[in-house]
Amino acid sequence: MPVTISPKPKLGVPLRPLRRSSTDGILGGICAGIAVRMGVRERTIRIVFSISAFVFGLGLLLYMALWLFMARSGEHQSIGQRISHQRRETEILLLAVIVVLGIALSVHSIAFHHGGPLRHGWFFQGNSSFVWAILLSAVAILAIWRGTSSEERVHLQGLVNAAPVVGKASSRGWKAVALRVIPGVILVVVGLRIMNRIGGVWGAAVPALIGAMVLLFGVFVLLAPWWLQMVRDLSSERRERVRIEERASMVAHIHDSVLQTLTLIERAAGSEVDVVRLARAQERELRQWLFDPNFDRDSKKAPESFAALLATIERDVENDYGVKVELVVVGDCSADENVRALVAAGREAAINAAKWSGASIISIFGEVEPAALSLFVRDTGSGFDLASVASDRQGIALSIRQRMSQHGGEATINTTIGTGTEVQLRLARSVARP
Amino acid sequence: MSQPRVFLVDDHELIRSGIRAELSGSVEIVGEADEVDAAIEMILERTPDVVLLDVHMPDGGGLAVLKALTQAQCKVRFLALSVSDAAEDVIAIIRAGARGYVTKNISGPDLTDAIYRIAAGDVVFSPRLAGFVLDAFASEPGAPLMALVDVELDQLTPRERQVLRLIARGYTYKDIATELRISSKTVESHVSSVLRKLQLANRHQLTNWASERNLS
Repeated sequence: MPVTISPKPKLGVPLRPLRRSSTDGILGGICAGIAVRMGVRERTIRIVFSISAFVFGLGLLLYMALWLFMARSGEHQSIGQRISHQRRETEILLLAVIVVLGIALSVHSIAFHHGGPLRHGWFFQGNSSFVWAILLSAVAILAIWRGTSSEERVHLQGLVNAAPVVGKASSRGWKAVALRVIPGVILVVVGLRIMNRIGGVWGAAVPALIGAMVLLFGVFVLLAPWWLQMVRDLSSERRERVRIEERASMVAHIHDSVLQTLTLIERAAGSEVDVVRLARAQERELRQWLFDPNFDRDSKKAPESFAALLATIERDVENDYGVKVELVVVGDCSADENVRALVAAGREAAINAAKWSGASIISIFGEVEPAALSLFVRDTGSGFDLASVASDRQGIALSIRQRMSQHGGEATINTTIGTGTEVQLRLARSVARP
Repeated sequence: MSQPRVFLVDDHELIRSGIRAELSGSVEIVGEADEVDAAIEMILERTPDVVLLDVHMPDGGGLAVLKALTQAQCKVRFLALSVSDAAEDVIAIIRAGARGYVTKNISGPDLTDAIYRIAAGDVVFSPRLAGFVLDAFASEPGAPLMALVDVELDQLTPRERQVLRLIARGYTYKDIATELRISSKTVESHVSSVLRKLQLANRHQLTNWASERNLS
């Protein structure tokens, strides 16, 4: 499917549709996206947003809303659409909104009705719209973090890592230390001051709570290097453990199969037939393990399908008769009773070829088409005279022809003495399967 | 026809010596390499008729050799030789320009025959490759290899499909010619056109890719 990549924007040339930029953005790519859409400079839009952010926090709210409801370039859904389709995410967000509203309303009303340090302080006075904008933005950030695409998440992760307080907290340079210690100390001091102002008629609970939260946040920033290290250690330890487990299962598999077979080959070195047989069996098994997407590595058993059943013919005939089987399967479908009958007839044909034709290689070709399954078993051996097959020999009559006709299929046998035999089996598919 | 000049690229000494032993006398081996860079350099220098190319090697494998030499406008013909049967790898190497694909357990005489045919400008499809190609062009939606070819632009003709099926069933080109009552040359041309479609799909995608990015 072609991916439309928007060409490089030109100044003065508007471009549809409105998308958040995935390449030129700083935060959500909103300003860059709008700039491309309107054909103006990114910087212009950024300045407009920055200024309007100081007007009752409107710019901030608008930015967050656009982040949620504008799709990112190259993506079909906006974050909002993605979240609204996931019940769990919607519930989490509703909960967050209720909690934030609850806290804000109670703090606001208590401070407003009873007066007290908060009302006279810098926190609420005349600026409550800022508080609302910040609180709603916090909810929006939560929504963005949970609903964003994995591609954008990488970008956001990079932003978080590059942020001064968090990202460089674990480094030792004086700049990083200053960036961590100064905000941390300020937060701790502010927290303590709020808590110190506790008093008055309306009780100490609310400012104590806020003071404690600010204090905690300050300590959190101050101790960033240690908890960040801990988080990183935990996740890298988990990765390492997964890697070790994968390696262990790989080693176990190679030991169980390849090493065992090599030992058997060393012991059977005298017998060419045995060596070839062992090597072929091992090759088949390893190939299935490596390349077959349906192969279940835990149960070591492929689910039953047309192709999987044909692979068992290849395996058994090669093992039992020491003849090479070249199996090619195009398409696949699940196996019902009719498919099993088809495969059983094919198996009979392959065994006949291995026993009587004298050919060193047998070709089996199975194809799944929408309307029918076909299976061809061919050898370039001695061939035989169909008419002269003794009537008491039941293989062809019973196991191939009758079996096929019983299941609504047909069998054709082409054989010429001296050039070989091909058994052609065909079975109409009974029901359309996905 | 004189003996074709053959160059071996494989990172396994054992495989190279095995192939050398099987081919000795029937073709002229003009050199061998066990890694990508050396292979590119020596092939450019010795210009063999046919390069036997291992698909899986360190540093990008046969694909890297093929791409470098195609860029260098080298007219050497490639026969891919591999134990790997991951369909994606095989189709990728054919699309990058190899003229055929055989597995390493091919018998000595068959390999010699394949080399002579490649040297003569023909195409060599093993049954397994025919199966992969049929899969890749499968008309059923959701087939795993659909993404590898441009289905709309390059459908196989019914005749090409028929020829591929017969190859997958184990028919030689001569058998196919007899079966379909056409000449061996016609069989060859059908197979060549399938190969061309595979490689063309590649080029279409490249141009699309380029125009989308304003590169063309």
